[in-house]
Amino acid sequence: MTPNIDPIIHIDEELCTGCRRCAEVCPVDAIIGEASTPQSIDAHRCVVCGQCVQTCAAYAAENDPSLTSRAEKLRQRGQLSSVREPLFAAYSTGHAIELKEALADPKRYKVVQCAPVIRVSLAEEFGLPFGTLTPGKMAAALRLLNFDRVYDTNFGADVTIMEEGSELISRVMSGERLPMFTSCCPAWVKHAETAAPHVLDHLSSCKSPMQMVGSLVKTYSAELDGIAPADILSVAVMPCTCKKFEAGREEMNVDGLREVDMVITTRELAQLIKDKGIDFINLPDETFDSPLGKYSGAGTIFGATGGVMEAAIRTGYELVTHEPIPNLQLDFIRGDEGIRTATVQIGDLELKVAMVAGLKYVSTILEQVAKGTCPYHFIEVMACPEGCVSGGGQPKLLLETQRKSAYQARKSSIYRHDSNQKVRKSHENPAIIKLYKDFLGEPLGHASHHLLHTKFFSRSVKGEMK
Amino acid sequence: MRKERPNSFVIAEAGKCIGCKACELACFAVHNRDNGVAAAVGTVTMPVIPRLYVIRTDSFTMPVQCRHCENAPCAGVCPVQAIVQEEGAITIDEDRCIGCKACAMACPFGAISLYKAYSSGQEHKQPHLREQLNGRLERKTRVIAYKCDLCHDIASDGNTASGEIAGAGAVNNSGSLTEGGGGPVPACASVCPEQALTLVSPSFGASRSRKAAGLRL
Ligand code: SF4
Ligand code: SF4
Ligand code: SF4
Ligand code: SF4
Repeated sequence: MTPNIDPIIHIDEELCTGCRRCAEVCPVDAIIGEASTPQSIDAHRCVVCGQCVQTCAAYAAENDPSLTSRAEKLRQRGQLSSVREPLFAAYSTGHAIELKEALADPKRYKVVQCAPVIRVSLAEEFGLPFGTLTPGKMAAALRLLNFDRVYDTNFGADVTIMEEGSELISRVMSGERLPMFTSCCPAWVKHAETAAPHVLDHLSSCKSPMQMVGSLVKTYSAELDGIAPADILSVAVMPCTCKKFEAGREEMNVDGLREVDMVITTRELAQLIKDKGIDFINLPDETFDSPLGKYSGAGTIFGATGGVMEAAIRTGYELVTHEPIPNLQLDFIRGDEGIRTATVQIGDLELKVAMVAGLKYVSTILEQVAKGTCPYHFIEVMACPEGCVSGGGQPKLLLETQRKSAYQARKSSIYRHDSNQKVRKSHENPAIIKLYKDFLGEPLGHASHHLLHTKFFSRSVKGEMK
Repeated sequence: MRKERPNSFVIAEAGKCIGCKACELACFAVHNRDNGVAAAVGTVTMPVIPRLYVIRTDSFTMPVQCRHCENAPCAGVCPVQAIVQEEGAITIDEDRCIGCKACAMACPFGAISLYKAYSSGQEHKQPHLREQLNGRLERKTRVIAYKCDLCHDIASDGNTASGEIAGAGAVNNSGSLTEGGGGPVPACASVCPEQALTLVSPSFGASRSRKAAGLRL
């Protein structure tokens, strides 16, 4: 259902002033054009991160007769006709119109999952302060939008940790294909496939948390609810424009059905809520549905850079040492844009890890891997400057000067959410324990392989010519 | 005793401006907190109405805005005294403005534009005038004059939404503008990625250029 061929990120020629501020934030130099003339995007290089969408300030002036009408522009962009905010030159393809229609279809069983960072940013679209935490209102709003099941990508993050943590340990023990890179950021995966196919073997074979939940929605939870998988509409709300691309990848299906049928961004969810006239700010809190809505604190922190690493270490430490980890809060891993490295003592093992936030910083590590001199065991890569809190589908700011404090507040809100959870380690999440006991068996087992792991393909131009 | 000094104004350096319109957007954002405009673009329910305009020619782009003239011609022609001199800035009292357009015609810089008035993010309708709209008689929207006010009372508008307006650099804590060069500056200048906009404080600027001219002799 998600269009596969749509490049997702676009620049409206009528609106682009050619200032090239987007080119400055593009981590892969995918924006081409002369200054002062409309820019275009090289879809092959573009990793669909949407940072250009976040930066562009060139808006359509309301009374400019030379422009295509607003109604027509909204239609071209796949945005609801009720959207009132200004339209900018750089934008991402919307799927809210399609989703609105699908939600009205009584024959489908409509299931939604929300990424960890939607709950720390959605409220900004309704005028609340940066980082206001609203998981309960979000769940309530999704039910009012007519979803039958409200699940959580955080659950998938917990599953990812189980699989990825086990994969890391087995690779470290055998010394094979190290360093291991995380594979949950689709923009990073696309970049590796396009610009560095030599590292594809080093990527964890895990699907992203979103795809894992999608896959379990059409198998495990379908079975529990007694619903035919083909009747399920699986929707994801993501901070990330590239998740639209990931959901459309051919290999992301279970037994011929798409794992995630449709992806909307944080901003699109807010637009749907407004379209339906829901008073978001005054909604009473509701909870997520079970079992795919139960998550640990470790699942929550996936949204910040270093989060995947921290969550993996919390579980990996205990899998290896069979002892509780002495310090749950791995502050040395937390931070922002750039590369951070650390050494973690796990039993006898000195695990060397690196966190890359911002795709432009990954090139030195890629060169090291090519030369065989990379000193790390495990490397987390997030394409956006501060991880998913700064994703391309997150609320867009009117003032560039507020960017730092917005990201900061969203991040501390995520960490606060984690520290308030009773269960803070993925392998202690009762719903995860049950999932493995009843359905998956063990991490990296047969069922996991079929449902939760994938392969990556070179997209390099040379590879394509072969 | 009050020290008299000329009004400050914001001026652009055409060679630096890349035409990104961030200044227009910032100007709109900080002036419309009362219209529900908070930090996120999604909170906007009205057209973007800036108080400075980025103009484009074949060879350059730069924003044009009010010079805060000492003998402001706009103030001279306003029939209802809606234009006043306040704390070193020429400002329009939007409640008083009758939309007669005299000021827009008198301004030598084209710094004033007329546009619909908004309150709480909705078009502000008039009590008396009506017009034909979609085959029905509807109350006419008020139209008023907008122009740069040097962000002079932004702090008192209060951005309770994000608790952040001081961060926009428009004003200092007491809510008044400080001199250019170091202190807080109007919203447009604070967001410009090319530092193309400067708040000029003439007493300082004039002596500096006089000195520079002297050195060139
Ligand atoms: S897309 Fe936007 S940011 Fe990029 S050059 Fe055009 S106007 Fe500037
Ligand atoms: S989406 Fe990301 S990679 Fe693509 S053009 Fe924009 S900034 Fe560059
Ligand atoms: S348009 Fe308004 S501010 Fe301008 S001269 Fe007329 S009444 Fe005065
Ligand atoms: S923000 Fe600066 S560079 Fe951008 S249009 Fe305004 S003056 Fe020019």
